[in-house]
Amino acid sequence: MSTENKDIAVLNRRNFLVSTATGLAGLVVAFNIPTTAKNALVSHATAPTLAASTPNAFIHISPDNTITMVINKLEMGQGVNTSLAQLIAEELECDWKTIRSVSAPVNEVYNHTVYGTQMTGGSSALASSWDQHRKIGAAMREMLKSAAASRWNVPVSEVRAENGFIHHKGKGKLSYGELAEEANLLKLPQDPPLKKAKDFKVIGKSMKRVDASDKSDGKAIFGMDVRVPGMVYACVARPDIDGAKIGSFDKNAAKKIPGVLDVVKFNGDYLAVIATNTFAAQEGRDALNVKWIDESHSKTSTKELMNSMREMSSKKGLIAKESGNVDVAAKKAASTINAEYEFPYLAHAPMETMNCTIDFKGDSAEIWSGHQMPTIDQAVAAGILGLKPENVTVHTVYAGGSFGRRGSKNSDYVVLAAHIAKEIKRPVKMVYTREDDMHGGFYRPMNFHKVEISLDDKKKLLAWNHHIVGMTVVGGSNFEAMMVKDGLERLIHEGVSDTHYDIENFRCEQSRPETPLKTLWWRSVGHTHTAYVMETMIDELCHATNADPFTYREKLLHKSPRHLAVLKLLKEQTGWGKKKASAGRAWGMAIHESFHSVVGHVVEVSLQKGVPMVHKVWAAVHCGTVVNPEGAKTQIESSIAFGLGAFLYQKIELEKGKIVQDNFDTFQVLRIEEMPNVMVEFVKTNDAPTGLGEPGLPPLAPAIANALFKLDGKRVRSLPYFKTAPA
Amino acid sequence: MEITINGKKTAVTSDENTPLLWVIRDELNLTGTKFGCGKGLCGACTVHIDGEPTRSCSIQLKEVAGKNIKTIEGATDKVAKAVQSAWVNNHVPQCGYCQSGQVMSACSLLSQNKKPNDAQICEAMSGNICRCGTYQRIKVAIHEAAGKL
Repeated sequence: MSTENKDIAVLNRRNFLVSTATGLAGLVVAFNIPTTAKNALVSHATAPTLAASTPNAFIHISPDNTITMVINKLEMGQGVNTSLAQLIAEELECDWKTIRSVSAPVNEVYNHTVYGTQMTGGSSALASSWDQHRKIGAAMREMLKSAAASRWNVPVSEVRAENGFIHHKGKGKLSYGELAEEANLLKLPQDPPLKKAKDFKVIGKSMKRVDASDKSDGKAIFGMDVRVPGMVYACVARPDIDGAKIGSFDKNAAKKIPGVLDVVKFNGDYLAVIATNTFAAQEGRDALNVKWIDESHSKTSTKELMNSMREMSSKKGLIAKESGNVDVAAKKAASTINAEYEFPYLAHAPMETMNCTIDFKGDSAEIWSGHQMPTIDQAVAAGILGLKPENVTVHTVYAGGSFGRRGSKNSDYVVLAAHIAKEIKRPVKMVYTREDDMHGGFYRPMNFHKVEISLDDKKKLLAWNHHIVGMTVVGGSNFEAMMVKDGLERLIHEGVSDTHYDIENFRCEQSRPETPLKTLWWRSVGHTHTAYVMETMIDELCHATNADPFTYREKLLHKSPRHLAVLKLLKEQTGWGKKKASAGRAWGMAIHESFHSVVGHVVEVSLQKGVPMVHKVWAAVHCGTVVNPEGAKTQIESSIAFGLGAFLYQKIELEKGKIVQDNFDTFQVLRIEEMPNVMVEFVKTNDAPTGLGEPGLPPLAPAIANALFKLDGKRVRSLPYFKTAPA
Repeated sequence: MEITINGKKTAVTSDENTPLLWVIRDELNLTGTKFGCGKGLCGACTVHIDGEPTRSCSIQLKEVAGKNIKTIEGATDKVAKAVQSAWVNNHVPQCGYCQSGQVMSACSLLSQNKKPNDAQICEAMSGNICRCGTYQRIKVAIHEAAGKL
């Protein structure tokens, strides 16, 4: 490590502090820390400590006082380029107007503080960076203070940092830009003092997004926009289900398309059409007219898969959680509530389809994409290209959404681009069409829930027996070894097995059926379905006992202060119990914890000619300290739009081994006229931040279902709401 | 072939059947206009053709000969400035990928209707999908921009 640190230190002085911001590119090549996919996946939870050069890796102060924040998380819409910069800026005492943010190259110094690899995910960016980034800002501030004190020859206790300057009452002031080079030569303070919440000036303020302007005038560069001199374009033919073999294809038809350069077969049974422009590559690929042969899946349908999952739910599963004695308690039941729920495969469908650009030069390579797991992408590409990871330069650019998709558990589209780059030996951009993006994986898995609730003669809850038949999320990847223990996969049963409801006799079983389609985390992962079942079943209990949904939950959540605080806030927001829904509309509510945050929603819904309309959503959120209130609200609004579209319309179906949905006509997403009026409030607290990108989603759909029940007396137990697309 | 793009007459060599989107992006390197679906379903590729919002993925090069094409890069007039400033003010963009198309649709609306109501905004913007769900803020921002014009 010592050599490596020395290398970094030298480069920091040369490139980070003295050069203009564009000097960052040189740094990427020069970092020399080997990483492999294997060690990248090792999870080690350690308190963040500052490596010798850490502040400089994250903060670049130019002589002209421009401050560049190097962001070690992917900006995919969640606002990290702004919120993480706020954490540093708060302690650095810099002038917010002088900051800009860039994405980090791959280096261990940028690793996730908990997961031990460079990655973005699990709604963890702020939570995992809270201490680290503030400490980095504070360390830099203290170094700047020391540099000024020694230049002035005064005790450091006499100087203070404010708004981009170090001040001394007798000596005047020096700008950070003037001091940066000297500051960087100083010893790094290990425990710089951190500010108290009451003194925050940047944290807790709705700083405007640093990327908003470039994202409003077309200047922002996404993976799709990357251009390398001499670059060609590639479009790939892949089967819907892995394992299919190519029966036939028409190479000549593809080659007849103007602009098509070549058709290459790679990595077994994949075909890529190489062309001078994207459209020719797409047209050429379609002209190939590949016939796939997959005898084992020629009859596979999601309908049959769901039937077999239903059958599985009657057999014993693995015990994910058990308390009390469900079987004994159930024998005393005077009545039971039995319910079965069905959840389909779902595509992520981010606006920017998957793409990756690679410039392979034989002994080195450069890669451009919206990298959510850059360390792994680097290692995987290096493996395919026969290079050492350090010779693969990873450029992380803006991602046009992800919702889990770009957190690819096996770098799937980087793999495709790397194989093509290796084959054709010239710079190439591999681009998915929307249809490519919707076919051939990856999806939120299918899930089936079977719940039996036992009640005594006074309708009091005796026992809760819950079986989740859910397809794997992490299966078929290196994550499986880490995240599946004795066949139990938390990402399937989270949200049920760890429920905060204090239920004496409770059992959660889990079964994992095979999945023919590749699966992946999808915004809020297991909570997408577990919150729906928990919160609609609780609503059934409220109706069975004629109880108010708030009062009933408050009793069962008596040990969970954050849940109670959310319920209290939600009541204040809505006037629940005092006010009522507008005429012809109904209110429904739900509350759920995910990613260490608790979110409660009350929704106001109407139902006309079989079409539900969600008019309003009140959201109460406990996510610890809110770093950027407006930014935080956008994450809740976003989760609501994403969850509502899925609730109403979305499913990915297989018929005879083929995926039915193709594009936004068959896989409908929410449009502007369907967006409810969302009103978000946060529980006031100085706790450290918890997740925000995902927790707003889980309670949305059950709150709607609970409102719909009031309107038509029907329970929605199979999603999506519309079985066929409404006209 | 020659087309007029952002006020400039520009010679292009793409095949005449190529969708305008790919001429704009791949040949002219104006990457602000985005590919989202290729079928006119999402609005990410919205440009103005003779002032009308048009899905550039669904119109071929040969169809725009002699017409004025404006992309997000050419959206620099008073209306565009008001829209873009309202976008920043109201924290509209998240991932931002759809926003060029959203801004082009919003500019077109405000050029034709100086004070649109919510229903008119929804009608004009319904063809523009945003997976981040920025819709509520788009509405607020369009009202704000209208107020400044």
